[in-house]
Amino acid sequence: MLAVSDKQRQSAVALGVLALSVGLGWGAIDISSEAGYAGIGPNFLPWLVAVGLAVVGVILLAEAHSGGFRNMPDPLAPDAPPVSAPCWSGFVWMSGALLLNAALITRIGFILSCALCFACAAHGLRQAQSGARQGLRSWLVDGAIGLLITAPVYWMFTKFLAISLPGLTQSGWL
Amino acid sequence: MDILNQLIQGFATAGTPINLLWAFVGCALGTAVGVLPGIGPATAVAMLLPITSHVDATASMIFFAGIYYGAMYGGSTTSILLNTPGETASMVTAMEGNKMAKSGRAGAALATAAIGSFVAGTIATLMVTLFAPVVAEYAVRLGPPEYFCLMLLALLTVSAVLGRSTVRGLASLFVGLAIGLVGMDQITGQARYTGGVPELLDGVEIVLVAVGLFAVAEALHAVLFEGSSHGSQNKLSRVSMTASDWRRSLPAWLRGTAIGAPFGCIPAGGTEIPTFLSYAVEKKLAKGEHQAEFGKKGAIEGVAGPEAANNATVTTALIPLLTLGIPVSNTTAILLGAFQNYGIQPGPQLFTNSAALVWALIASLYIGNVMLLVLNLPLVGLWVKLLKVPKPQLYAGILIFATVGAYGMRQSAFDLVLLYAIGVLGLVMRRFDFPTAPVVVGMILGPLAEAQLRNALSIGEGKWTVFLERPMSLGLLGVVLAVLVLPRVFKKRG
Repeated sequence: MLAVSDKQRQSAVALGVLALSVGLGWGAIDISSEAGYAGIGPNFLPWLVAVGLAVVGVILLAEAHSGGFRNMPDPLAPDAPPVSAPCWSGFVWMSGALLLNAALITRIGFILSCALCFACAAHGLRQAQSGARQGLRSWLVDGAIGLLITAPVYWMFTKFLAISLPGLTQSGWL
Repeated sequence: MDILNQLIQGFATAGTPINLLWAFVGCALGTAVGVLPGIGPATAVAMLLPITSHVDATASMIFFAGIYYGAMYGGSTTSILLNTPGETASMVTAMEGNKMAKSGRAGAALATAAIGSFVAGTIATLMVTLFAPVVAEYAVRLGPPEYFCLMLLALLTVSAVLGRSTVRGLASLFVGLAIGLVGMDQITGQARYTGGVPELLDGVEIVLVAVGLFAVAEALHAVLFEGSSHGSQNKLSRVSMTASDWRRSLPAWLRGTAIGAPFGCIPAGGTEIPTFLSYAVEKKLAKGEHQAEFGKKGAIEGVAGPEAANNATVTTALIPLLTLGIPVSNTTAILLGAFQNYGIQPGPQLFTNSAALVWALIASLYIGNVMLLVLNLPLVGLWVKLLKVPKPQLYAGILIFATVGAYGMRQSAFDLVLLYAIGVLGLVMRRFDFPTAPVVVGMILGPLAEAQLRNALSIGEGKWTVFLERPMSLGLLGVVLAVLVLPRVFKKRG
């Protein structure tokens, strides 16, 4: 038997699949059907995928409402990977780290922005591990390690591989 | 001896100091990502795809092949020493390897895995050398209907046959196909699902999808669900094998190679079947006290065979990739993407149009195998130290490299937001057991298959019967049907 919340979660996933199907179908209306010799045009595969997603989505929804998705990995199996209770605060820290990085990378440069991302993500992961509050010291250590990784990476990719990454200054070193 | 001449030419190209350096760095990096949990060859190659815009094709393909290969060697180290199951490719190695390590024979297990990988990898590379040109010659004669059937076979096996659930596999495949739809239609040049954004005309970047689904999703999963789990590590013993270990390993390596190699050649991917098959064979063939070791003290045959089978499959998987342009796994799909970045479409013409590149790549496989043997036998202690990197720093570091890959491709900060969104998608997929390989393979193979389908129908003047009228494509459709139906029949019978 499934807990109510599991059923709701699986239904939400199934509805997401159906929503994608509707989106694709809606977009497919505007694609020309000009087929040439082939008999099928640029709109064939979009419709096929939309219909396929609809069918799969309906089956998933039916499964969710009749005992849950089939053949799921058994969480109680002896070799199953351990899963602990979700740590949402850690998740928020990591999400923040990634989105902050996206917002700052062109402003403060790759090195500083990614070091900040590293520190925030590491903070989140540590919180997930111990749940304990962490002091200023661990922040400083993470920030320093972050800089020790990002700076050489920046130099290696921009100098040796000529991949352009944003800098804070025009010097090419920071 | 045309092949020999070309191979020698290939060795000359691959043997230049700079290319040797690329091969070495690739092998070392590959071993590292194989050893480290949370990052695999597909992620590593995807993150480094931006280099395709600056490094020349031969060098970067040698580099990527080194990563692809090295990860197989490194993966077995982790599965033997860590008491947590790693990737599916090394799951079988973990079963016996772990038992051996627990009874103090970690060194022998590591040695047989590394030497077995070398033996199998070298034999399989020899097969690539001999057979790939033959297949390419034959493949020139295939028309769009046959290609479409082959691609259909690859798409359906990766989604509907492998994995636990056909429904979830197909859902992943359709999502991948949907992502592949974005951009310009290959035949008419019409824009589809671009929403008027000019950047999307070239399609969604492979880097974003692969790195998002694998690296970012992995990190998010780690922070959300794996907080308090601590894996324990087995002790490393001296890496050597006794005379009896050699006697028991050698036939197992050869049998594993014989089982694994054919599986790579057919576009019906996956290393699970050959490795499990090899394990079953070894268990069956073992006698007396050796058989009693299976599942208890750990039998060396149970590591040697599957590990060889794994490497043989992975190597011969390059045959369909190079000669037909059909990828059967995450990593080969991304390698195909790397070729496409250079404007090269792998397929039968590759052996004539880009002969120098192909033969340098094949030669580098021989060289890479030797390098990896050295890297993994005497130096294995070095790699084991990587397992000491604490989780927070490891995953946070992976995110930095994910940023490099995603941003480096197009220099767009918006791509980083997209990367996060795809990471969340990957997290949901992982939570509800949707496989990710069909997304990547579908995204890359989908547009190619669509073009072949429409060309095939053009040949048939719009009639679908074109697939039934040509003996070759009819035969392939039969294979597709068999692959879909037979596993279910067997399962029903138990």
